[in-house]
Amino acid sequence: MAESKHQYAFFLGCIAPNRYPGCESAAIKTSAKVGIELLPLKGAGCCPAPGAFGSIDLNVFYALAARNLVLAEQMNMDITLICNGCYKSIWEVNHILKHNDELRDGVNEVLKEVDMEFKGTIDVWHLAELYYDPKICGVDKLAASVTRPLTGTKIAVHYGCHLMKPGKERHFGDTENPMWIDELVEALGAEAVQYRNKMQCCGAGGGVRGYDLTHSLDITNEKLINVTEVGADAITEVCPFCQLQYDRGQIEIQEKFGKTYGIPVLHFNELLGLAQGMSPQELALDLHGIDCKPFLEKIL
Amino acid sequence: MADENWNPKIIAIICNWCSYAGADLAGGARIQYPPDIRAIRVMCTGRVDPLFIMKAFQDGADGMLISGCHFGDCHYLEGNYKCAKRMFLVKNVLKNIGLNDRRLRMTFVSASEGAKWGMVMEDVVKTVKELGPSPLSEYQK
Amino acid sequence: MAEAKEQPRIGVFICHCGTNIAGSLSIEEVKEYAKTLPGVVVAEEYQYMCSTPGQSIIVDSIKEHNLNGVVVAACSPRLHEPTFRIATQEGGLNKFRFEMANIRDQNSWVHMHDWEGATSKAKDQVRIAVAKARMLEDLEPKSVPVEHAALVVGGGVGGMQAALDLASAGIKTYLVEKNPTIGGRMSQLDKTFPTLDCSQCILTPKMVDVGRHPNIELMTYTEVENVEGYIGNFTITLRKKARGVLTPTEAEARGIVGGGCNGCGDCAEVCPVIKPNPFELGMAPRKAIYIYHPQVNPLLYTVDFDSCIKCGLCVTACGEEKKAIDLDMVDTFEQVKVGTCILAIGYDLIPIEGKKEWGYKRFDNVITGLEFERLICASGPTGGKLIRPSDGQIPKKIGFVLCAGSRDNTGGVAKPYCSRFCCMYSLKHAHQIMEKIPGAVPYLFYMDIRSFGKMYEEFYYRIQNEGAKFIRGRVANILEDPTSKNLTVYTEDTLLGRPLSLEMDMVVLAAAIQPKPEAERIRQMFGVSKSQDGWYLEAHPKLNPCGTTTAGIYLAGVCQGPKDIPDTVAQAEGAASAASIPIHIGEVQLEPYFAQCIEELCAGCGMCVNLCPYGALDLVERDGGRQVMEVTEAKCKGCGTCGGFCPGGAIKMQHFTSPQICAQIDAFLLEGGEQ
Repeated sequence: MAESKHQYAFFLGCIAPNRYPGCESAAIKTSAKVGIELLPLKGAGCCPAPGAFGSIDLNVFYALAARNLVLAEQMNMDITLICNGCYKSIWEVNHILKHNDELRDGVNEVLKEVDMEFKGTIDVWHLAELYYDPKICGVDKLAASVTRPLTGTKIAVHYGCHLMKPGKERHFGDTENPMWIDELVEALGAEAVQYRNKMQCCGAGGGVRGYDLTHSLDITNEKLINVTEVGADAITEVCPFCQLQYDRGQIEIQEKFGKTYGIPVLHFNELLGLAQGMSPQELALDLHGIDCKPFLEKIL
Repeated sequence: MADENWNPKIIAIICNWCSYAGADLAGGARIQYPPDIRAIRVMCTGRVDPLFIMKAFQDGADGMLISGCHFGDCHYLEGNYKCAKRMFLVKNVLKNIGLNDRRLRMTFVSASEGAKWGMVMEDVVKTVKELGPSPLSEYQK
Repeated sequence: MAEAKEQPRIGVFICHCGTNIAGSLSIEEVKEYAKTLPGVVVAEEYQYMCSTPGQSIIVDSIKEHNLNGVVVAACSPRLHEPTFRIATQEGGLNKFRFEMANIRDQNSWVHMHDWEGATSKAKDQVRIAVAKARMLEDLEPKSVPVEHAALVVGGGVGGMQAALDLASAGIKTYLVEKNPTIGGRMSQLDKTFPTLDCSQCILTPKMVDVGRHPNIELMTYTEVENVEGYIGNFTITLRKKARGVLTPTEAEARGIVGGGCNGCGDCAEVCPVIKPNPFELGMAPRKAIYIYHPQVNPLLYTVDFDSCIKCGLCVTACGEEKKAIDLDMVDTFEQVKVGTCILAIGYDLIPIEGKKEWGYKRFDNVITGLEFERLICASGPTGGKLIRPSDGQIPKKIGFVLCAGSRDNTGGVAKPYCSRFCCMYSLKHAHQIMEKIPGAVPYLFYMDIRSFGKMYEEFYYRIQNEGAKFIRGRVANILEDPTSKNLTVYTEDTLLGRPLSLEMDMVVLAAAIQPKPEAERIRQMFGVSKSQDGWYLEAHPKLNPCGTTTAGIYLAGVCQGPKDIPDTVAQAEGAASAASIPIHIGEVQLEPYFAQCIEELCAGCGMCVNLCPYGALDLVERDGGRQVMEVTEAKCKGCGTCGGFCPGGAIKMQHFTSPQICAQIDAFLLEGGEQ
């Protein structure tokens, strides 16, 4: 068992604990195996959802995000999370408030009412980038933690939108054809397949799923076509909202458009869990909309 | 530190081929900057004798700017390097006699960098204003 | 006239420059103030001091008031110092008894909303200028002879034209080209807009003329290694790269009568090494011993020693009669002396694979405009058939992405400027595919169509009428179909206000252009500055577009900024004309800012000698065995590096003496200065 040298306050978000609790338990258990300890961020609320809140009222958006940040500041610990949408809210607001005195003062006026103050003392990381960073874990250490390699499977990686973009404001490098999560997937023994238009949105975010489900599914449908075209056995992502869109989305596409894909959708932490020997039950894979059996048959 | 009406006295010695041209270009582009700096033209910053700098501060200058070509671009090949070496020496001397060495600055502005000249002007005036009047300015007059 | 202790009688002349100066500060106040300055006997003002009446005021004033120094407070000395020096001379004074206060470019134009601040600064500037004027002395400009020869760097159409003009004017011209052949970019083009002339066809006569002209020494496969000297007297060291192949002249010099390369190509036939041909942009092969294409000038094969394996098969094939190949050849150096130089080194395309959204180098069927030229050219790698790189099929729907990497502020490989000729060549390409491929439809994705030149707009009408499709919008993304390798172009039709995706068989990127990688080294050797956009800096964009601020160095062609062939040739002719003037006059006047050693003060330490970048200083012996420094005026450029150093103050930099500069400093800071 690796010593837990790296501790983080784990921001859960909403979709993972409520819809795909396997992502939550996987994150905690798999991270522990590579020396990352995730501690609960008690009292955290909605990140808040950037598309929904950010589009309606920025002041509410900043204040709610800042509140979550302050909880971590009080723990004197950096935050890590497993969702692109949460990353956008929490990382971006942290970054903005650290550099904009006027906005920070405005937010602190609001937080005063609950005896809180944003100080800008912590940083925010997506768990996937911690896995990739050799100073924290790194691809090799991740590969070393694998006991059940996912050999023989082809996995299509969906990077999503809010983690790496806008490229100018983030630090992830190339946004046109990134390969780092593909590398993480290959560390698990799987083959990361390239497919057409891999950087296109899943269709969920920005309030689109909530506002216009049919159009959002149209976008998802196109991605499913491209992924199926290259013979992927599963789709993986680092965002429970993308997961929801692909997973429940396939059921909705079946209902609305009459098309069936049946392609399992797994969050990277669920994949990592499987590769580290966790059982489908521990990962609550039976709660998924699309049956994961075709994928599991290849690896178990 | 200084009364509200204090305007710093800053001398700039700038080279004809790069910085003077860059300053003219700033003028052509109507880039606005504070009027506290007076320029003296030389052919090359290599001409700058440490004597000029000591004299300027002795006379009560609050700040001094030497500006020339970028390294590698000197019209006379190496004058700017030699000037830069002298500036390190002079800064040490200034520190030793109790003047804040930030009052002396060397910059590199090329003939096409009018915008940069404007920024240099702003920044030099700001720096000197923060430092306040030179302690030597009281000994004049 | 020039006695050391004469009483200064300075005239101050203040220019309004219309409202350029008068609109931002008080001329009246500055004039009245000038009158109070020690040494000033008269102060005048005028609307435009540089005009004829303005200059007359100066000339008359010198005579009327018996002045011995002139100060003009106006624009920049970089603009009008020569003008006013002539006026000073016409008034009867030595022309170096003149000083300028820059109260426009460095005052009224930059302090437009601070009347008090600007006026106060102008007074200071006048006081500083007067302080120096009081101490100016008579100086005589020095004449140096001008070498009756010129150097042209770059053998594209710009360099060739400049060389032809210089040579026709009777000047021996060295035309230096780093590639094995002249011709440059124009050789790579198929047709030229708007006339649709065949590019190589109209270029070949010029290439032949260059090769034949008695006054042109054509030095191909040669690079500039070092530059020393100054206008009229440049010493250029040239590196003649080892070609591995002897010219007939070289062969004869070695005793091989009737030998040397005759371009037969027997060597290339047997050479076992195959490499990509850079002339064909890597789309066709060449051997380790090669010519770029059949029309090269000179017609000589060249050995690429980086890939040659020295098997010697070529030597055998060449035979005993010609014996033209020498695999042991090494680079040699030659020095030439010239009076003036013209730089015409051309351009490269940006590495457009850096704009990842368009998939260049990732998708087979995305190519650049230059690659299109080679594919559509009858002498190109496909014999003029435009085929898709992925499968050799003939494309029907071809997308052209204009402004690919130009007019783009997002950094990385992209350039903020317009590359000027891409709109026109994209129209030309559209025409060519409609002409050559029945049923082909070109789609031009554009921001603007810049058809600015003579007959260019008419060409644009023509292409529209021929059936090209124009979609005004930037291409956001290009995706490739993994099976067909067709490309889907995602764009926006901004005129219709909606997004668009179109499937293309092939996409051509009109990639932005940038200076060549060696441009930086070359400009530093010649003392040429760089503009903000990275191209070579001209002396003045309107009034002196062919010259540079370094006397004797001129620019021609795209190296000074993006331009098409007509403008390149025009600028080359202009540069040749300018470069020929000092040569024809035979001598050039140097400004007398020389260093002078004041021997009584010189300790002979010799430390200044090493500081001089031109080796103009020496230690010499005087009577009594004393060593002092001596200046060789012909080599001294007046930079002042020695003068700024001499610890004994023994070096006098004329016109920028230490007493003068100290007087300027004192004048500003001590208000009134020391007498």
